[in-house]
Amino acid sequence: MAAVRVENLRKTYRYARRKPGLSGLFASEVRHIEAVGGISFAIAERERVAIIGPNGAGKSTTLKMLSGILEPSGGAAEVLGFVPWKQRRALAYGIGVVFGQRSQLWTELPARDSFALLRRIYDVDLDTFRRRQASLVERFGLGDLLDQPVQRLSLGQRMRCEIVASLLHGPALLFLDEPTIGLDITAKAAIRDFIREHAGAEGQTVVLTSHDTRDIELVCDRVIVINEGRIVVDQPTDQLRRLFLGHRLVTLRSAAPRLDIDLPGVKRRASEPHLSVFEVDTGVSRVDVVVQAALALGGIEDITIEDPPMEEVVRAIYDANSAR
Amino acid sequence: MPSTMPIARAEPALFGAVAAAASALGLGIRRNLANWPIMMGRALFYLVAMLVLSALWDKVAAQRLPGTLAHLLPAGGLTLYIGVTEWIALSVAAIHLRLEDDIRFGMLEPHLLRPKSYLVQKLAEAMGDSLGRLIGIGAAAVLALVLSGRAAPSPIAFVYVAVLGIFGTAVGVLLMTLVGLSAFWVRRVLPPYLIMQKALFLLGGLFAPISLYPGWFYHAAIVTPFAATLFVAGDQALAPSLAAFGRGLAAQLVWIVLLSGLIALVWRAGLRKVLREGV
Amino acid sequence: MNGFSTYAANVATAIRTSLMDRTNFILNSFGMVLNDVFFLVLWYMFFAGFRQVGGWGLHDVALLLGLVMVVVGISGVFFGGYRDMAATILRGEIDALLTQPKSVLARLLARESIATAWGDLAMGVWMLFTFAALSWSDLPLVVLGLVCGTTVYVSSAVVYASLAFRFAGARSFARDLTDFMLLFSSYPGSIYSGATKIAAYTLIPAGFVVLAPVAFLRAPSVSTLAIMIGSAVLYAAIAAFLFHLGLGRYRRGLVPTG
Repeated sequence: MAAVRVENLRKTYRYARRKPGLSGLFASEVRHIEAVGGISFAIAERERVAIIGPNGAGKSTTLKMLSGILEPSGGAAEVLGFVPWKQRRALAYGIGVVFGQRSQLWTELPARDSFALLRRIYDVDLDTFRRRQASLVERFGLGDLLDQPVQRLSLGQRMRCEIVASLLHGPALLFLDEPTIGLDITAKAAIRDFIREHAGAEGQTVVLTSHDTRDIELVCDRVIVINEGRIVVDQPTDQLRRLFLGHRLVTLRSAAPRLDIDLPGVKRRASEPHLSVFEVDTGVSRVDVVVQAALALGGIEDITIEDPPMEEVVRAIYDANSAR
Repeated sequence: MPSTMPIARAEPALFGAVAAAASALGLGIRRNLANWPIMMGRALFYLVAMLVLSALWDKVAAQRLPGTLAHLLPAGGLTLYIGVTEWIALSVAAIHLRLEDDIRFGMLEPHLLRPKSYLVQKLAEAMGDSLGRLIGIGAAAVLALVLSGRAAPSPIAFVYVAVLGIFGTAVGVLLMTLVGLSAFWVRRVLPPYLIMQKALFLLGGLFAPISLYPGWFYHAAIVTPFAATLFVAGDQALAPSLAAFGRGLAAQLVWIVLLSGLIALVWRAGLRKVLREGV
Repeated sequence: MNGFSTYAANVATAIRTSLMDRTNFILNSFGMVLNDVFFLVLWYMFFAGFRQVGGWGLHDVALLLGLVMVVVGISGVFFGGYRDMAATILRGEIDALLTQPKSVLARLLARESIATAWGDLAMGVWMLFTFAALSWSDLPLVVLGLVCGTTVYVSSAVVYASLAFRFAGARSFARDLTDFMLLFSSYPGSIYSGATKIAAYTLIPAGFVVLAPVAFLRAPSVSTLAIMIGSAVLYAAIAAFLFHLGLGRYRRGLVPTG
């Protein structure tokens, strides 16, 4: 059964704008902004999907419609068997939402108090709640932090509390809106690891929006790219690279300060002394041929062969899109 | 054990709603305690205001000028009355500011994603905060009364005042909720707040009992929710009577019901707007 | 003179800033006018019912309130930084000022201009003209009274804010004390007696903000003049002294900020 099913979902915002000049005192023209222009997709249970796109692309609008806090202008959607904007309260029990840039906790009080209130809000029975809270607190290392006022915690600590808060009622579906924004590397890693492992163990479905491409790489198995209110790409993560950037990166560490490989489809990238990076167009040259050519030069100390970073993939998608 | 469907809840929905509200109320009280320096400041302000206002009314009462309303004043002056009205006025939690923040800065969203009503929760929190204030300022008031050596009201008057004070504060919180909900449609809640506050002071008789007003004015004021907030409790401090207590309590309950209904309608309209147009 | 023109330039900037958001400015200043009108109505009703209190009638209270409003108005417009000075100190925002060559106190006072103060100013001036039973010959006396009153008001606010150099709770407490001063100043002085009267002439010097000027205006004499000017000078000196004492502490790193 699909956890999320979206069919031709549309959202047009209406706003009134005063006409320029004197007539602006009396008349305003109504402008329409199409934030989301008819998107369709389905997400199966236990899938981990990233929804990415440039600012203003319609990601947040889509997420809001799926969580029930915004009514669409047209189209249909079903989340966990509910129509989100019609059955918001019933759906609420089954979803957990984390906003990267907004706090859901009561800041003057310790996180423990917020958790206790959330238990009441979601009608979780005491034993289940205690068990779950204990395991989540241990998992995220929140032990001593629970009794400090939330406003005294660092951003990373607060985000961990936010995520725990969203999981206390055992939701089947997680919406994460920019969950790692502004966090340091350790905190980001902790959250990514957690999503991958915990969500997997609990069988939760995860829908994530992010600007950080590492979030996508390390956490999600599928990527939906939205641009200007429409779906541009909907692919599994590993296929994305292959489809959009038909090249691999070969990095060579050598005794010589600089190496040159002269083969078709091989381009030299900015490199440091003794470390040369080559971009190999796999449609033109084979990687093993390039490697053999490199070894033939002699003095090679180390070779790394890898996919280009996800950032490049995403940028390529955006560029390909805006060029249209 | 994947849970794809929402958990079946053991208790009936009403119990859940009440438990959540009670929890929010407790949270409001605890938050009040956490902010104790501000609470102290508030209690101090109360004492200073009482100092000044009692000095004023004592002087007026002592003068007993002929041809004035001075003969209507009780022998002890209006200190006890104002002590009660100021106590209530300072205890009404600033829910309108919290609502304005949440509504205008998009902070409603996390609440809309939860299965319980945001408004009920906010009201419960505000009532908890107000209860904390009532207790804190009330303690300061009793202390000041003892230290001042004034004649204290009778024990039964304390009971009447306490009950009407709590319900009066509730009416006040509901009024401020209406002010806060205006944030759905107006840019700043400050203007409606100031209007509501002044109406409360004037028609609720903060500085003087509305029974001193000219007849027509008194009759207009007594039927407002403002009189139910301040006057009915303050009046008991001057002349405790079971009949007046009963009438006052009845008026407060009526207003609580009416204002709650109005709030529900306004909230529903505001919510519709937000769900359609986004925050 | 150089200090004065620097100060004037700072204040001009602060005033321009407060005018930038037109809607907000109008809302705030007009709202304060309505607020003041309301309290006038209450006093009017009071005197309609009770005629006078301790020898003070409607015109005397009008004079009192007119003076208070103009004092608050001038203080808010030209020395608006007084209101949040404690918070500014506790946020460590004077670090930047300490590295600059001009007086820290002057910079702090000039950094903000409060929009609502214009409403108080307008209202106060109107009151002095219409209800306070003054004549044109009183004008120089009124100006003198206002200068002294404003000096005491701002100086007291600085003294309260200087508490911030000693403890963090001053952030809201200083603001409270300033509010108390205003509260005391808004009621006829004749009602104060005993300990309250002492407080009103020392710690919360409402007595010198308005009561002394009122006494001077109603009965100008050498002694009332001396009290008025003397108190202004005294409070200004105390404020300057305590502020610089606190600043010394700050420079030695004894004030926890942030």
